[in-house]
Amino acid sequence: MEGVSYQRFPKIKIREVKDDFMKFELRETDASIANALRRIMIAEVPTIAIDLVEIEVNSSVLNDEFISHRLGLVPLTSERAMSMRFSRDCDACDGDGQCEYCSVEFYLRVKCLSDQTLDVTSKDLLSSDHTVVPVDYSDTSSSFDNTPNKGIIIVKLRRGQELRLRAIARKGIGKDHAKWSPAATVTFMYEPEIYINEDMMESLTLEEKTELVESSPTKVFGIDPENKQETGKCMIVGNPSTSPGIPLCGSRWPNTIWVYASMVIVVDPEAYTYDDEVLKKAEAMGKPGVVEIHAKEDSFIFTVETTGAVKASQLVLNAIEVLKQKLDAVRLSDDTVEADDQFGELGAHMRGG
Amino acid sequence: MNAPDRYERFVVPEGVKKVSYERDTKIMNAATFTVEREDHTIGNIVRMQLHRDDNVLFAGYKLPHPLQYKILLRRLSFARHASSNTVQIQTTSQSSPMQAYNQAINDLDKELDHLKSQFEGELAKHTRDY
Repeated sequence: MEGVSYQRFPKIKIREVKDDFMKFELRETDASIANALRRIMIAEVPTIAIDLVEIEVNSSVLNDEFISHRLGLVPLTSERAMSMRFSRDCDACDGDGQCEYCSVEFYLRVKCLSDQTLDVTSKDLLSSDHTVVPVDYSDTSSSFDNTPNKGIIIVKLRRGQELRLRAIARKGIGKDHAKWSPAATVTFMYEPEIYINEDMMESLTLEEKTELVESSPTKVFGIDPENKQETGKCMIVGNPSTSPGIPLCGSRWPNTIWVYASMVIVVDPEAYTYDDEVLKKAEAMGKPGVVEIHAKEDSFIFTVETTGAVKASQLVLNAIEVLKQKLDAVRLSDDTVEADDQFGELGAHMRGG
Repeated sequence: MNAPDRYERFVVPEGVKKVSYERDTKIMNAATFTVEREDHTIGNIVRMQLHRDDNVLFAGYKLPHPLQYKILLRRLSFARHASSNTVQIQTTSQSSPMQAYNQAINDLDKELDHLKSQFEGELAKHTRDY
């Protein structure tokens, strides 16, 4: 079937973007694409991290390996990572992985000379490339906070202790080691669709409604005091003018009066965690179907949080790019197609030609 | 020790083909594709895309073992009306597993292009608002 395309045209709606956080809706595609994007953001978008440490002097309380490990976990700004080479693919440096195309050099030289404990932080790491530096977490938005930003503490030194080292940072992916993962959290959820059967809901007393609303561990439903609805003859226990009381419905009560009960509304559908608690409650109350909840199979809400190595929006774009590259890599090579053509005649025969 | 290198999880060894193709000897228009050093990320999206193809009767994938870094994609395809006349036979021959596979990848690629432009458009709109 030449020319037939089964392509989809997904839609995106961004809700919120910050440097290291974003929330967006992805629609008109299926879970396989959403999950592929999530998996790639976590494990296959490249970043730069310290991969090799040569320690010259270390008289600190932490051993060399401990410090090397901590250095590896320091997030480095990695806008350059997508265009950088993996050191194993680099032909400029004979595979020792120490050339400018595939690595960035860092130096750290700190000695404590005072009686006060000295914090060695990520700010003490001196980079050979100004585009690849430890991520700065100083929060400019909270100016009232006067604590000076000191970066990520690597080790603390006492008087006379010294740390001197050279480190090589390389490009890598989270699949290799988690230190290369640009993602703090990447999650998606199906968008829930919640229906309230109004007729059935009306047959509940306010007490039952409250019970139903409160059965959800997250605040999905609420009782709307504004949007009141006539429910029928009820008797108010207690003084109706001072307290809402508990309306008791039914004709058994002689002194019934007309009251207005509040409606159950959906406050925040996305707070629903697919826990089924409300549905179970409805069933226990003998009113199955009073609330119906479905997951929209083609609609996803993503939250992306990064370590700061790349911006959240860039992380999503890089993930799409990486997925495209991966798809390109799994295309059939020409010699595979040729090898199959040798079967051509047999193939045509088998297909009933 | 004897632990394999970490990169073995995603670097195709020399002399090994990324994708190999094997025709099924017993079933018409059926084949198995072996993709080296890939996981559920690729396996699942290709499978789901193949399911959208009306000519594909069966498409499935498996990861034989968590420590064997490859996936097997198996699919069987032919036209829905594989009865007689020439046009339909052509249709049948045109939707070989290989073509279905290529089509799925092309469609996914286009979908991602679309997704990317959508995202960039939305992002531009969003950053302008601030």
